[in-house]
Amino acid sequence: MATATKPVEDVELLRRPNIPSAEVRLPAVKDYEQVDDEITATLHPTAQWFIGLGVAILFLVIGALAWTYQIYTGLGVAGYNPPVMWGVYIVTFVFWVGIGHAGTLISAILYLFRAGFRTTIYRCAEAMTVFAVMTAGLFPILHLGRPWKFFWLIPYPNWRYIWPQMKSPLVWDVFAILTYLTVSATFLYIGLVPDFAILRDREKNPVRKRLFAQLALGWRNTDREWRHFVRAYLFLAAFSTPLVLSVHSVVSFDFAMSDVPGWHTTVFPPYFVAGAIYSGIGMVFTIVIPLRKWFNLKHYVTINDLDAAAKLALFTSLVVGVSYACEWFVAWYSGSPAEKQFFANRLWGQWWWASALLYTCNICLPLSLFSQWCRRNTTWLFILSIFINIGMWFERFVIVVPSLSHEYEPWQWAGYRPTWVDYAILCGSFGWFSMWFLLFIKQFPVIALTEIKEIVKPRLKFRHAQGVDSTAHPLPFMPDTPGEFD
Amino acid sequence: MRGVIGLFRELDTTCDAIAILKKKKFGEFTVYSPTPRHEIEHAIDRGPSAVRVFTLIGGLCGVTFGYWIAIWISDYWPIVVGGKAIATWIPYTVFGFEVMVLIGALATVAGLFATARFPRITHTVGYDSRFSYGDFGVWIEPSPDKLQEAEQLLRDAGAVEVRVER
Repeated sequence: MATATKPVEDVELLRRPNIPSAEVRLPAVKDYEQVDDEITATLHPTAQWFIGLGVAILFLVIGALAWTYQIYTGLGVAGYNPPVMWGVYIVTFVFWVGIGHAGTLISAILYLFRAGFRTTIYRCAEAMTVFAVMTAGLFPILHLGRPWKFFWLIPYPNWRYIWPQMKSPLVWDVFAILTYLTVSATFLYIGLVPDFAILRDREKNPVRKRLFAQLALGWRNTDREWRHFVRAYLFLAAFSTPLVLSVHSVVSFDFAMSDVPGWHTTVFPPYFVAGAIYSGIGMVFTIVIPLRKWFNLKHYVTINDLDAAAKLALFTSLVVGVSYACEWFVAWYSGSPAEKQFFANRLWGQWWWASALLYTCNICLPLSLFSQWCRRNTTWLFILSIFINIGMWFERFVIVVPSLSHEYEPWQWAGYRPTWVDYAILCGSFGWFSMWFLLFIKQFPVIALTEIKEIVKPRLKFRHAQGVDSTAHPLPFMPDTPGEFD
Repeated sequence: MRGVIGLFRELDTTCDAIAILKKKKFGEFTVYSPTPRHEIEHAIDRGPSAVRVFTLIGGLCGVTFGYWIAIWISDYWPIVVGGKAIATWIPYTVFGFEVMVLIGALATVAGLFATARFPRITHTVGYDSRFSYGDFGVWIEPSPDKLQEAEQLLRDAGAVEVRVER
């Protein structure tokens, strides 16, 4: 038989894998079949999953009842106290938008940078993004006195002949959040299509098989499909990358465009983006660490992957720390009495404890990640991620509430106390997010099957030299296939 | 159309089959693989994807529409503030950018559908569920007189299963 393969005798060459570092990345994963079998096995619902889903739905119902009460009674039940007319809802809106950012960072930006550790965690992070943005999008509507009029912010021909104020950051927000939700959901779905095809071919239940067949859109794994898919995925990642930076910049404009002390500063866009990515990575740890244990996927989401993600968390926490320092410096250097007064109030005012909490959670505790032992200790990473989530929620609280309660005129200064409605709706948002996520992880694979297969060494009949493919051609630089430079 | 499908267990034997098919000029063929592989792409050598054209056109349309809608609304429903322009490009860059990303991304997906020829209702002949699991496949549509030669060629290249389908 005529063959183009070139068996190699050089022992030194044979020692190096033909597929760069594939065996090093996932040494316990031997072949494609193992990937499908182990990851699709996680889709069977368990009693613990039903309990978790029940708790999530309970929280959601509590939030829904509180919102119903608020609509019936009026927005006054939400604890607003003029001039503090932005409270827990806007804080939680910024929090959830921020959570979404790490998902896009991991799935899109790290894809473009060929960061190998993203492959095993990006599906979870991407789903987290979509559900977090779905949650965030509810809060500006909750914050409206007449929530059923929310669509007035969208420019469309209407009988009132009235159009939105296009110079308002609130209208920019509508465009940014809707674009972000659409592109994130599209990116998630397109990435899932080849996996749907795998599920369609494996599924025994006729109803689910039919559902997966519909979702797979007739995908057949042909060379034509892969060629265009890989390129389209790259472009979607390229679009999502600046979107990450733009969306939270636009959210920060909601504050920075006003002249409220503590808000009117040019450091807000990069500060918000870094904070968003930091909080999102915290949430990724909160989700992924229990999942890899419950689903027995420790040999896929390895300690090395978590270590690399922890370095990213450390880096973004340092950026956030520098941003805090910039805020303080500008308040001092500007010479503005209102700014100075406001920042003094942050430290020693009514919410001193919230400031202390956020600095502890966001700056001090993450410094532990300089230690490799901490980065590779999943228990500590999980505990730290909870602190990061708490710290980042309070960061937004300290930005929103104390600024409004401590403006230029002392007679305007006021207090703010969230009510049970605020707390119930906050709980409801976690229930809403958790419900969608729990439903996702039992219907769809939490680890991308086809992308994992890309970093698993394929079956070969002959052994080949490093740097050449199985047709004896030199391997070209092809930056459109993930995993090549892991 | 009548064709031959060969099922391969290994990546290198699949690439061998592609190389031989190209050398013997058997015409159009389709390769199935569980995951995209450089080796297969390199062996087939089809050239760059046309998805980029859709992305570019979508992005350009989006940025144009984003700026246009903001300027048109400002002119149609002017909110006059002393010393300020009715329509100004700096804040409207937000709309230009966001709509560019939105339409560009959707156009990319449309481009994927158009170029990769899916969604499709049927799997067509040749597809085997093992191609999404771990095996590779090569489908060829030779002229009737070359059918047996094609079968033999795939077997020689290392196919573990060869069958004729229509």
